[in-house]
Amino acid sequence: MNCVRKLLLARELSAGRGILRQAAPGRDLPWLQESSCAQGFWPVPVRSIRSGAALSRSDLVPSARGDKEKDRGSRDGALVPFDELFERACKGDRNKASFSRAVELFCQRDIRRRGHIEFINAALRKMPEFGVERELDVYNKILDVFPKEVFVPRNFIQRMFNYYPRQQECGIHVLEQMENYGIMPNKQTKFLLLQIFGEKSHPVRKYQRLMYWFPKFKHANPYPVPAALLQDPVDLARFSLQRIAADLSAKVTVYQMPLTDILDDGKEITQLHIVGIQSPDQQELLARHNPARPVFVEGPFPLWLKKTCVYYYILRGEPLPPEEKEEVIDSERNFYYPMQLDLDLDRDLWDNEEFYVDEVEEGPVFAMCMAGAGDQATLAKWILGLQQTNPILSQTPVVFHLTPGPRELQVDLDSESGEEEIPQSWHAKQEL
Amino acid sequence: MALSFKLLDSIFLSSRCHRQNALHPLLGPLLTDCISKLYSSYRRPGTSPDNTPPWKMNFSFEKGVDGIKKHFGILKKELVDHWKGPEGYPLEEYLLEQTRVVWEFRNQKDLDEWVVSSDVEIGGKSEAYLKLGKNNQTALLYGTLNTEAPRDGETEYSGYCAMRAKLPKGAFERKKYYDWSNFNSLYLRIRGDGRPWMINIYTNPYFSHQKDDLYNYFIFTRGGPYWQEIKIPFSKFFLSSRGRIQDDQHPLWLDKISTVGFTLGDKADGPFQLEIDFIGLLNDRAHTEEFAYEKYERNPKV
Repeated sequence: MNCVRKLLLARELSAGRGILRQAAPGRDLPWLQESSCAQGFWPVPVRSIRSGAALSRSDLVPSARGDKEKDRGSRDGALVPFDELFERACKGDRNKASFSRAVELFCQRDIRRRGHIEFINAALRKMPEFGVERELDVYNKILDVFPKEVFVPRNFIQRMFNYYPRQQECGIHVLEQMENYGIMPNKQTKFLLLQIFGEKSHPVRKYQRLMYWFPKFKHANPYPVPAALLQDPVDLARFSLQRIAADLSAKVTVYQMPLTDILDDGKEITQLHIVGIQSPDQQELLARHNPARPVFVEGPFPLWLKKTCVYYYILRGEPLPPEEKEEVIDSERNFYYPMQLDLDLDRDLWDNEEFYVDEVEEGPVFAMCMAGAGDQATLAKWILGLQQTNPILSQTPVVFHLTPGPRELQVDLDSESGEEEIPQSWHAKQEL
Repeated sequence: MALSFKLLDSIFLSSRCHRQNALHPLLGPLLTDCISKLYSSYRRPGTSPDNTPPWKMNFSFEKGVDGIKKHFGILKKELVDHWKGPEGYPLEEYLLEQTRVVWEFRNQKDLDEWVVSSDVEIGGKSEAYLKLGKNNQTALLYGTLNTEAPRDGETEYSGYCAMRAKLPKGAFERKKYYDWSNFNSLYLRIRGDGRPWMINIYTNPYFSHQKDDLYNYFIFTRGGPYWQEIKIPFSKFFLSSRGRIQDDQHPLWLDKISTVGFTLGDKADGPFQLEIDFIGLLNDRAHTEEFAYEKYERNPKV
C-alpha cells in the first residue's frame, strides 16, 4: 500500500506544479523499486489532471508500452469489448478465480476506471461462461468496479435530474441479473450501492424492492425442490417419487440398482435402476381389483424439478363401468342406527363447499416407478417386483402403453402407438 | 357524406380514449377486422408502427347485418337476466352460494373461450397448444418452451407461453365484468408436471393508463398422476404492470374482473403440459386476511 500512496502523492505534487509529468518507476522514483509490493505491480503512468490521455501516451517507458497498446486495442471500438481481456485472464481455465483476476486486471489498469460501464456489461455477459452467475461475491466484486462517491448527487438539482444516468442504468443491469438468477443481495451490496450512487438513486431503489419482494416469495412454494439437485439417479428417483406420491405413508422400493457388469467373455451388461413406490391405499385398491380386467402400465410422463426433467411410469386400472361400481348403501336400509356417518365437523351444518361439476372419471393408480430405460423388459422387472407385495398381479393381465416420446397423461385408447402384451411366461391368464 | 365523417370521427375518438362504449353501435359490426386493430395498440418489437389510414379499411354488409342481429339478441338476454337476478343468477342462489364453477372444459365451445399465445408474437420459438383431454373432461395445455431470444435488437429475454380467457363482451362489444364479491379465493383443480405457473387476473380498467395492470400469483404444481386442488385467496394477488411488480400495492377489486390467464415462463427449455379440470370460486370462511402486502408507501418520494 505504501507504493500506491507514494504514487498518489507524486501525482498531487505534479498537478500542483502544472507540469506534465510521467512517473517511470525505473527512472524518477527509485524508491519505488525497493518496495516489496512491486510483485506483479503494473506501472500506472501518473497523469496531471489537466492533461488528456493522448498526450500522456506520447513518451512512455519502453517496458510499459507493450501492455498499453494491447489495452488500447481492446478499448478502440471493438465489437465485443474486453473479450481479449477475459481471454488473457482465464488462460484456458474458466472459473471464479480467473473471473476475479480479470476484474482485478481492469481495476488496476486505470485509476479512473475508464470504460467501466462497457466492462461491467461485458462481465455480466461473460458470467455464465465462467460459471459464476450464482455467486454473490462475484456480483459484489463487479459492483466494486464503479468509482466510489463520484456519482452521488450533491445538491437538489443533481438529484432531480437523474445524475449520471448511464451509470445508474448499469447498476440496475447488475441487480437485474441478480434478480433473474434469484440471488438475494447482502449487506455488502447495499453498502456498495449506497457508496457508489447515494440514497434515493435508482439502483438503491431496485435493491430495496429486491429486499422487499424476495423474502415474501422465497418460501411460497409448498413443494420446494432443493437447489442442489441430487446427482445419484436412485436418490433422485426416490425424491421425485415421494414428491408425486402425495402420501406420506408410501413406501419406496429399489428393485434394481444401477451396475455395469463385465462378464467372462468380455461382454458388458449394464443394469439400470428401477425404483418403485406404492402406498398402503394403493395396495388395498390393487388387492380389491378384479383379476379378469387388465391393468395398464403407462408412461413415460414428465416431471420437472427446476431445470431437469425426469420421467415416471404408472400402473393403473381402467375406470369401472357404472354397473361394477361400489354400491351406495341406502340411508333408509336400517332405521335403528345409521350405516355410515358423514359428519364434517370442520364446517357448519349448512356450509357446503362442494363444486357442482362432474368428477373426472379415471381409473385408480396402483403404483408408480422410475426406471433408467423405458423399455418393456425393464418395466416387466418392476411388475415382477411388485408381485411380491401384491400377489394378485400374477393373475392379472398387464398391458403396456409405452409411448415413444413424452405425451399427455391421459392416453387416448384409440390411438396407442406402443401397446404390447406382456409374454405368457410372466402371467398365467390369457389377455381378454 | 357528413354522416360518414361523423362516424369516422367517432371511431378516432373511441380509439384514443380507449372507451369502447363510445363506438357507434351500428358501425362497429360493419368494420369486422378493424375493431381489434383499433383497440389493441400492440407493436411487435422490431417492426415499424402500423399506419393504415381509415379509408383503406374494408366494410362488409352481410357480416354487419348478422352482427347486428347477434348483438340485439345478446342485449335482449342481458335485459331478461337483469330481471332474474344479479348476473343472471336467481337472488337466493346469489346470496347463499359459497362455491361457483366459472370455467369448465367439457366441449369444444368451452375451449373456444380461451386464447393461447406464446412468444411467437415477439419472434420467439416456443409453441403452445390447447386441446380437450381424454373423455372430453379436461383441457390440456401443452407445448414446448424455448428461451432463445429473438434477434431484433430490442428483446433480451424470451420463452413464455400463456393461456387467457377471452374478454367477456356484452351487447355491441361493450365491456362486461364478472362480479366475484361473494367469494374470497380462487379454486383450481389441475394436474401439472412440476413447473411453476403464474395466474394473472385482468380487470380491464376504465383508464387506458392502467391497461397493462395485472394481478398475479404463482401456481406451484407438484407433478404426478394425482389431481392437485389449489386454493389461492384473492388477498395474495399482487399488482404488476407490464411484467414489473409495482410499488404501491392494493387489493384486487372483486366486482370488476374481466379475465383470468395462466403463464409459464420458468426459463427451462423443454416440453410442458398442464391439465385443467375446472376453475371455480370459493368463499373460504376460515380466510380472514384482507391483503398480504403492505399498503403504506414503501418508497417515499425523493
